[in-house]
Amino acid sequence: MKAQGRYMPVLVWGTALLILWEAVSWYLLEWADVPMAQSKLPYFHKVLAAFGTYGGVLAAESWITFTNAASGFLLGAAAGALLAVLMSASKWMERLAFPYAVASQMIPILGLAPIVFGIVRNEEAARTLIAAYITFFPVALNMLRGLKSVPPAALELMRACAAGPWSVYWKLRFPASLPGLFSGLKIAAPLAVTGAILVELMGASRGIGVIMLRNLYYGPSHVYMFWSTVIAGALLGIASYAIVSGLERIAAPWQPEFRNKGGGR
Amino acid sequence: MEAAAHFIPEIQLDHVTMEYESDAARVTALQDVSLTIAKGEFVSLLGPSGCGKTTLLRIMADLAEPTGGDLKVAGGSAREARLAQKYGIVFQSPVLYDWRRVKSNITLPLELKGVPRAERNKRAMELLELVGLAKFANHYPWQLSGGMQQRVAIARALAMEPEILLMDEPFSALDEFNRERLNEELLSIWSKVQNTVVFVTHSIPEAIFLSDRVFVLSPHPGRLSAVVDIPLPRPRTKEMRNSEEFFRLIARIRDSFEGGV
Amino acid sequence: MESQLVSPVKTAETAMKHPAAKRTAPPRRRARAGAAGRIGLPLGAGVLFIALWELKVFHRLLNLQAYQLPLPSAIVRAMRDNFDILLAYAGYTLTEAVLGMAIGSAAGFIVALAATAWPRWGSGGLLIAASLNAVPIVALAPIMNLWFGSGMGSRIAIVAITTMAAMAINAHKGMNMVDPLALDLMRSYAAGKRQVFRHVRVAGSLPYVFTALKINTTASMIGAIVGEFFVSSRGLGYLLSNSIKVARMPLGWSCIVMAAIAGVLFYLIVERLEKVFIRWHPSQRT
Repeated sequence: MKAQGRYMPVLVWGTALLILWEAVSWYLLEWADVPMAQSKLPYFHKVLAAFGTYGGVLAAESWITFTNAASGFLLGAAAGALLAVLMSASKWMERLAFPYAVASQMIPILGLAPIVFGIVRNEEAARTLIAAYITFFPVALNMLRGLKSVPPAALELMRACAAGPWSVYWKLRFPASLPGLFSGLKIAAPLAVTGAILVELMGASRGIGVIMLRNLYYGPSHVYMFWSTVIAGALLGIASYAIVSGLERIAAPWQPEFRNKGGGR
Repeated sequence: MEAAAHFIPEIQLDHVTMEYESDAARVTALQDVSLTIAKGEFVSLLGPSGCGKTTLLRIMADLAEPTGGDLKVAGGSAREARLAQKYGIVFQSPVLYDWRRVKSNITLPLELKGVPRAERNKRAMELLELVGLAKFANHYPWQLSGGMQQRVAIARALAMEPEILLMDEPFSALDEFNRERLNEELLSIWSKVQNTVVFVTHSIPEAIFLSDRVFVLSPHPGRLSAVVDIPLPRPRTKEMRNSEEFFRLIARIRDSFEGGV
Repeated sequence: MESQLVSPVKTAETAMKHPAAKRTAPPRRRARAGAAGRIGLPLGAGVLFIALWELKVFHRLLNLQAYQLPLPSAIVRAMRDNFDILLAYAGYTLTEAVLGMAIGSAAGFIVALAATAWPRWGSGGLLIAASLNAVPIVALAPIMNLWFGSGMGSRIAIVAITTMAAMAINAHKGMNMVDPLALDLMRSYAAGKRQVFRHVRVAGSLPYVFTALKINTTASMIGAIVGEFFVSSRGLGYLLSNSIKVARMPLGWSCIVMAAIAGVLFYLIVERLEKVFIRWHPSQRT
């Protein structure tokens, strides 16, 4: 009953924006006679058309970017989770790695994309590597926070049942860390995709970023195709976030945000 | 029996009912509650959890609307009383704003009313004197103990000189010793202010020590099961807690509870 | 005189026998050792890492040449030789980041206000802000270039858009995480909606606002630099991508080092502001 009401505002906003888009587009082209009007804000329906015709190519290239980013993402996530477990188990490890984890957040991570490509001239390896690097530290930090968020009272209860350290991890710390882990994953996922695309801008031969650049440089005649690559890139980012969110619902459904809101006082 | 001579009804409830939906079951928080509270009286709403006492207080404060029945406050509706700022409320937690010092926490209601600054500050200092915390005017709330924070909350509730003071288990977060001490302080403050007080509690001794009358509520469904007069003389002293009369009253109230907890 | 490394048990006994005797040495020493470990260990590891790098251990392990992965000494040299241009470009990029973040944070705050004041329709704005966040910068950058030209304007726009979402989401959370009892109190004072906002929601949201600002400092540096990758003739991002393209790797690395330093400075300034504005918050109390 309430679900309909929840999606209504979204639909209305979405439609309103699209209408605004078309209106502004028309205004720029027909009324204000702005130079390169269609490059700046092309008609949405024309972009959609180009998206349709161009679809096969876009899908193929997006797939390449996506798979590289995904494998890097999984690699980085696994390594990050491992580091988080190590840091929570050993105070030395935490003291050693934590400052670097925080410091790495200060470095413009995406800025490393060209550098990674410079080192590893192989474009596939570079995509994977940068996605892994981007994912590694946020996952480690967030999962560590989750592992440490266990209330001391819960730990004491476990001790009272004479639970061994492995059980404590598996039955208590690990499930409790899942929300934190997914926080980190959700932050990293779109960034990993972005990193992979950036690598391609430095001179790759396949991938969505390459297509985007190519169409950009061909100028006004390719404007609809360019915009459809932009949409494809945006969809990739949104999709990666959505996939991780979906996984989160399956893996950690008990979280307050997923519960039904209700019950008045 | 009520002292009929100067009995001016301040709060009147007529067959008030409160029901709501919760997870596809209809819960009756209050069933057919009728009572009258006189102006200047100190009454307690006493009962275990689930008896609806907090709901009853919130209805009186116009923070919740009953699903049935009638409610009159100071001659008008509860809403009118709230909009005329006739209420002072103290909750279980002090709910003080961390970003304001003690004094400006107290002046907040006055700011909202548009009282000029000089007058606000004067009133705040008067109230702080009344609750014995004048020295802490420029402290931040977190620098005070729980009991002190509640006293600030009481001072704030009295800022607008409300006709009716509503208190929802204000001392239940404190230990027994602090609680007894604050009971005595509350009575001393009340003797100077002399407004109507409705005090929610689950502690029988507290209810008896503080009130003129105790409304005993029983749960499932929440209903008024007894009204007990407290004939102890005022001012109340802590020696009264040990008197035979006091223990008799405790026993009487305990017996008047109906139904399981 | 007994040795300073006295066991705690012995010390307790001594204290009991001589109640006036103070236990000074052991706790102090333990605390100092702890602090040394906290800084010394990562510092030592870092120094070791750089030493191994300089000695080409990683090169041998990963089969790399010096021109692919420049030695720390080469990077330092490049930084020294090109310092003035690095500094100038750092200022340029930092300006883009700061201005963009200011605009984006302001916009995000307004969106959060609207979403809180009119929950049903305003939350659409939040959703849009969140989706904009999911759009990769690589999609935004070329479009902003088209709209705002190849000057600072396009990078400021990129940064504004990328920082808006974090601020909107965080500020919204802060404005809505109000104690329900505080809202009840406001109701009992017959306070109007605007007063509730002013006195309760906005002040209460400040800690969250600062969290978002801190997150946004790095995001804005990234946005500015990546924006410069696309089209720019100045700035650290431009210099970085250019250096890589002409295979001047040490200079490219210097850009990243410079950017990291600038980013850290930016973050520290925001942290200092946080201390001033939310002195009262639990996280800031001693």
